[in-house]
Amino acid sequence: MKRLSRGSRNLDAPFYDIFDLSTVFIISGLILIFILWPITEVLVKSFFPDNKFSFEMYRDIFTNDRKLIYNSLFISTLSTIGTIVISTIIAIYATFSNRKIKNIISAILMMTMISPPFVSSLSYIILFGRRGLVTHRLLGLSFSPYGWQGIMMMQIAGNVSIAALLIIGIMSTIDRNLINASLDLGESPASTIKKVVLPLAKPGIVAASFLTFVKSIADFGTPIIIGGKFNVLATEAYLSVIGRGNFPRAAAISVLILIPSLFIFQIYRYHMDSSQLLSTSGAKIQNNDYYGFNMGKPLTIFVGLITFLFLSFLVIQYIVIFLSAISDFRTGKLIFTTEYIKSVRASLMPSFFRSIRYSFIAGILTSMIGLLLSYYVERRNLKIGKTIDFISTLPYIMPGPFFGIAYILAFNGHPLALTGTGIIVVLNCIFRQIPISTKAASASLKNISMELEYAARDLGSSNLKVIFGVVMPLLKPAFLVSFINTFTATMTTVGAIIFLITPSTRVATVEMFNVLRDGKYGLASVLACMLIFTTLIINVSFSSLLLGKAKISKE
Amino acid sequence: MKKFTSIFLILAMLIVTLSGCSPSTTEAPATTETEESTETASIEGTTMTVVAAYGFAEEIFAEFTKDTGVKVEFLDMSSGEVLTRAEAEGGKPMADVWFGGGADSFMVAGEKGLLEDYVSEEEKSVDEKYRGDNFWTGISLVTAGFMVNNDILAEKGLEAPKTWKDLLKPEYKDEIAMSDPAISGTNYAVVNCILQSMGEEEGWAYLEELNKNIPFYFQRGGEPPTKVSAGEMAIGVIPMSGEFIAMKDKFPVTTIYPEDGIPWVPAGLAIFKNASNLDAAKAFVDWALSAKGQEIIRDKDPRVMVRSDVAIPELMNDINLDKLMDIDLLKFSSERETILERWSTMVGN
Repeated sequence: MKRLSRGSRNLDAPFYDIFDLSTVFIISGLILIFILWPITEVLVKSFFPDNKFSFEMYRDIFTNDRKLIYNSLFISTLSTIGTIVISTIIAIYATFSNRKIKNIISAILMMTMISPPFVSSLSYIILFGRRGLVTHRLLGLSFSPYGWQGIMMMQIAGNVSIAALLIIGIMSTIDRNLINASLDLGESPASTIKKVVLPLAKPGIVAASFLTFVKSIADFGTPIIIGGKFNVLATEAYLSVIGRGNFPRAAAISVLILIPSLFIFQIYRYHMDSSQLLSTSGAKIQNNDYYGFNMGKPLTIFVGLITFLFLSFLVIQYIVIFLSAISDFRTGKLIFTTEYIKSVRASLMPSFFRSIRYSFIAGILTSMIGLLLSYYVERRNLKIGKTIDFISTLPYIMPGPFFGIAYILAFNGHPLALTGTGIIVVLNCIFRQIPISTKAASASLKNISMELEYAARDLGSSNLKVIFGVVMPLLKPAFLVSFINTFTATMTTVGAIIFLITPSTRVATVEMFNVLRDGKYGLASVLACMLIFTTLIINVSFSSLLLGKAKISKE
Repeated sequence: MKKFTSIFLILAMLIVTLSGCSPSTTEAPATTETEESTETASIEGTTMTVVAAYGFAEEIFAEFTKDTGVKVEFLDMSSGEVLTRAEAEGGKPMADVWFGGGADSFMVAGEKGLLEDYVSEEEKSVDEKYRGDNFWTGISLVTAGFMVNNDILAEKGLEAPKTWKDLLKPEYKDEIAMSDPAISGTNYAVVNCILQSMGEEEGWAYLEELNKNIPFYFQRGGEPPTKVSAGEMAIGVIPMSGEFIAMKDKFPVTTIYPEDGIPWVPAGLAIFKNASNLDAAKAFVDWALSAKGQEIIRDKDPRVMVRSDVAIPELMNDINLDKLMDIDLLKFSSERETILERWSTMVGN
C-alpha cells in the first residue's frame, strides 16, 4: 500500500490546522502521560527500592523465587499450547462446516468471550471440587482440586473463545481455490489442511498464541483461587503489594513478567505486520461463501468430536453458574432457591451501575482515541507515530496488577493527584484497552482506499473534514469492535483496578472477587450472571444501534 | 448523519481532554470548601466512606444511618490490604473510617502517621486492655478457634482437634486451612499469640511443624471457614465470630475453642488522617463505642465486645474468657515486620 506523507493543504483554513495539530498533540500527550509515565514509575521503583540504585530486588527474586519464574513459564506455555491446539481444531471444524454450524459455533464463542475473570474458576470448584458435582456427587471421588492442572484447564477454557475466533477469522479468508487445487492435485484432505490451510492461517495462529501467552502469564486471579500452593509470578506480585506493602518487589516481579511477553511480542512482530494484531478478535467473521470440503470421515469425526466436547464444556460452565445462582445443591438434591438473589445487598447495585457507567465511558473514549491514533499513525506518517504506536501497545502485554500499581505510583500526588477518584479507574481501563482499538482501526484503515481521502481533499475538504467526514464514518465497524471489546473488558476487569478502587468507586467485579474469596459461591454466581447478561445486552443493543440503521459497508 | 457523528466526535474529544487534564484544578476548591464549613455543618445527610473487615458491615452501617442520618459507602478489605493502600496513597486516604480487622495494622498505621488522633468520650467505659492508643480503639474481640467439617472427618476416620498441639498430628496432613498472616489479622493474631505464649523458640518450632500439615495458605481470614463449610477442607483456623459459628445450622460443621489457649486481638476502629468527612467519622466512633452501638454491632455480628457492660452474645456463651492467651498487645506492632519476614521464609514458595 502506498503511503504518502501529507500535511495539510493550502486550502485548509488556519483554524483547522491548529485543530489538527492540537489533536496530534493531545493524543500523543495522553499516551505519554497515561502509559509511558506510569510504566516508567514502576521501572524506577524496581531499580531504586530505597531511592538508591540497586539490583537487590531482582537478585532476591532470582535467588529465592526461581521456582516462581519456572512455574509462570511452565503454566503459560502449557496453557498456550493447549489453547492453540483446541482453538485450531475448532476453527478448522467451524470453517469447513456449513454456515449454520459455523454461525452456532461463532455465537457460542462470542458469548463465552464475555466471562468475568473468575467465572471459570468458580464453576471449576463447583464441578470438580472436593464436593464437586462431577467429582463427588457423580463419581464419588473426593480430592483437592487445587493445583496447576486446574489453572491450566481454566486458562485454556478462558482463552479458547477469543483464540478460536481469531483463527476462524483468518481461515475464512483463505482462497478456496488454493484448497481445491491441492485436492485436485491428489493431496488428501488431511495433508491439504497441513500444507495449505495451516500455513495460510499462520498469522491468526501466531496472533492467538501471542495473546494467550501474554494473558496467562499475567493472570493472577486463576492461580489465586485454584492454584493452591502452586504460586506464580503474577500472584506473588499481587500478594507482595496487598500483604506486605512491598512495592519495589511487586514492581520488580512485574518487570520480570514483562520480559517474556516483550520477547514473544518481538517474535510476533517479526512474523507479521503488527497491524494485523487482533484485528479480527471479536470482530465479525468474513462472509466468505460456504466452502465445505469433505475432510474424510475419520478426520471429520475427530475434529467434530473435540469441537463438540469443548464447546459443551464451555456451555456447561455457564449453565453451572446460572444454576448455582438460583439453586442449592449442597445437600445432594437440586433445590431451587431465591436465597442468593435476595442476598444481593442493596449496596451492590450502585457498584453494578457504576460498572456499567465506567465501561460505557471507557468504551466510547477508548474507541475515539484509538481510532484517531491509528489514523495519524497509518495515514500521516508522523515522525513520532511509530514510537507512540509502540508505547500504546505496551499496556496490553503488561500484567493487570502491574498497570494498577503503575497508576498508584504515578498519580498519588503532584502534579496529577488522581488516586481515590473514579477518573483514575476509567483512565486505567481506557489506556489498557487502547492497543486493541488502534489495531482494529488500523486493520480497517488498510481496507479504505486512500483515493477517497484524496478525492475529498481535491474537492476542498480540510484535514479535519477528511477525518470526521470521510474516514471516521467508514471506521464504524472498527469503532464497534473497539467499543465492545473495551466495554466487555472494563465490565469484567479486576486485575489492574483492584488497587485503585475506593468505597465510593466500587465496581461489580471487585465485589464479585470479594464475595468469591469469602467462599460465597451462590452469591458470586448471581453477580456473574448479572455481569454476563448486562454485558451481552449492551453489546448487542449498541451494535444494532450503530450498525442497524445506516448500513455502511467497508467495500 | 455525518454532521451528527462529527459533532459527537468533537464533543467526546473535548471530554477526553477535560477529564484527562483538569482534575487537579477541579479538586482544589472542593477541599478548601469543606475545611471552612466543618464547624457549622450538620453531619446529617452527608456521606461517610469506610473500609471494613467486619461481618454484616452493611447492616451495622444501616443502623448508624438510621440513628444519625449519615449515609455510608463502604468497601470490604482485609486489614493488611488497607495498611498497604494507605501507605501507598501517601496522606490522601481512600476512606474516612477504618472499621474492623486486626489491631496490629492499626498500630502500625498509627505509628506511620496515617491515622487521625481522636479519643472518644465513650472510651472511658471500655476495658482498659482493649482501648488502644490515641489513634485507634478496640471495638470487639477477634478470637481464633477451629472449625471442623464433620462429614470429612467421618469420611477420613479422624477426630476433631481440641488443642493447638492437636493440629500437629500427622493424620491431619493437608487437611488444615489457614490464612496468610500478612493479609489476615486473625491469623496474624494466631501467630503472634502462639509466639508470645509458647516463647519465641518453641513457638517457631511449633509453627514449622504446623506448616507441614497445611497444604497452602488462603488470603483472607474469612476463607478457611467457608472452605471448611463447603467441604473443601476438614479443619480450619477461623475467627470465632457469630457469622461463622452460626454456620453449624446450615452445614455439617462444629466450631471449637482450643483448650490450651484462645488467641485474640481487638478488632480496631480508627479515623484516617485527612478524612474528608471528619465530623461524621467522629460521630461513628462515638456511636460504635456507645452501649447502644455496641449492642447493635454485637447483635449483627456476634462477638465479645470491648465494653464490659455489654453482655457476651448468646452464640458465644461457651467461650471461657479465662482461656484468652495472656499477651502484650504492643508486641503486635513492634514485631510485625520481623515475624512476617521469618514467616515468609519459613513458608517459602
